[in-house]
Amino acid sequence: MAIAGNLEVFNFIDIFQILRKDKKDGILVVENENRKFAVYFKEGNILYIREVAKVFYIYLDVDFDQVLEKEGISKEDLYRVLVAKLPLLLAVKKGKFSFTPGFIRYPADIEPIIPIEKIIMYLSRQLSQDEVERKISDLNLVFEKNKDWRILAEKAHLTDTEKKILDYIDGNRTVKQIMEEAKVKQLTLERALYGFLATGIISRKKKVKRKVGFNLTKNLLRKIVERIKGL
Amino acid sequence: MGDKVQKQIKIVVAGPYAAGKTQFINTVSEIQTVKTEARTTKADEKEVKSHTTVAMDFGKITIDDEHVLYLFGTPGQSRFDFMWDILGKGMLGLVVLVDSTDPSTFHEARKIINFFESRYPAPFVVGCNKQDLEGAWDPEDIRTALDLDEDVKVLPLVALDKESVKNVLLTLLEEIAKYI
Repeated sequence: MAIAGNLEVFNFIDIFQILRKDKKDGILVVENENRKFAVYFKEGNILYIREVAKVFYIYLDVDFDQVLEKEGISKEDLYRVLVAKLPLLLAVKKGKFSFTPGFIRYPADIEPIIPIEKIIMYLSRQLSQDEVERKISDLNLVFEKNKDWRILAEKAHLTDTEKKILDYIDGNRTVKQIMEEAKVKQLTLERALYGFLATGIISRKKKVKRKVGFNLTKNLLRKIVERIKGL
Repeated sequence: MGDKVQKQIKIVVAGPYAAGKTQFINTVSEIQTVKTEARTTKADEKEVKSHTTVAMDFGKITIDDEHVLYLFGTPGQSRFDFMWDILGKGMLGLVVLVDSTDPSTFHEARKIINFFESRYPAPFVVGCNKQDLEGAWDPEDIRTALDLDEDVKVLPLVALDKESVKNVLLTLLEEIAKYI
C-alpha cells in the first residue's frame, strides 16, 4: 500500500508521524524539479539522506553498506553527513513524496542517531497558522498525555515553553484554557500541540460517553442489523 | 385508520469533498438517492467532478412498518459546513469517509471529526474509500494521519461494492450497540 502525496498538503511532520508510529524501515523519496532525495528510515528514524540525479538510482542498491560505499562515506561519518544534509531536505516545501517500505537491508550494527521526535518538534516550531489548523482546528479540544510521554518528550528535546505547555495538558483543560493559564501565544501553543501529537507525546482525549441520538432499543437495533445484512 | 407515521432513524455520512459519500449511500439505498447537487464552480473542484452536494443527499432503508433508516450525506466542501450542524442533531451514528488515494483531504477529514466530536459525540467509524484504486493508503496509515486512537474502527472500503458498504454500516451498528 502507498504512502505517497504532495508536500504542500502533507508536510514532513505528517509523513514522519506515520513512519515513526509503526517504526517503519524503508526509503522515503522526495523530489521536485530541482532535487531528488532518498531518505533511509530504520525503525521509524532517519538513518541517512542521499541526493541522487535520478530516482531509479536509489533502487539499484538493496544493501545499505553498498549505499555507503557508493557515497564514499564510513559508518563513523553517518552522523556528520546526516546533520549536514538534514537542513537541505527539510527546506524542500514543494514536491512529491513516496515511501517504499522494506527494500533496503541494514547491517545490524547501524542505529539511527537523531531521534525523529527531535526533528518533528524542530519542524513544528515553523508551522504556519494554516498548517496548525489542520490538527488543532478547535480551541475546545482536550488532550491527554500518552503512557510513554516522558521518554518521548526527552527524545524530542523540548524547549522551556513547550515543557511548560506540556505541564498543563491533563485531560481536562481545553486548548483555550491552556493558552490563558500558561500565558502563551495561540500559534506557539498550537505549534507545540501539533508537534506533541505527531511525536506521540499526547493524544486527543478519548470520549468515555457517546450519545446515541435516538431512543434505540436492543430489539430495534437487532432489526436494523438484520435488515442491513439482508440488503 | 390513517397511515402509520414511520419513525425516522438517522445515520450521517460525512467526509471531505469527493470522498464518495453519495456513492456510499446510493449503493445501499432502496430508493434512488435524493440529490441536492449543483455544478462545481471552482476550477480545481471541476477537475474532480462536475457536480457536488450542496445541502445533503439522502437514501432510505425501510426497517419495518414503524421504522425507516435514512442515510444523510453531508456536503463535503467546508463552505457548506452549516449543514453538518443541522444533520448532526439526533443522529444514531456517523460514518466518516476519506478518499484513500488523496492524502490532501486527510486533514479536512480530521476537521470534520473534530466538529462532530465536539458537538454530537455519537459513535462513529471511518471508511477508507477507493481501496481498489492504485495509490490507496493503508487504513492503518490513515488512522495515524487522522490521529485516531486504536479503539476507533478504521475500515477499508470500496463504496461501489455493496458488501463493503454493508460491512462499514454493520461495524457502526456494533459500535452503537456498546452505548445502548
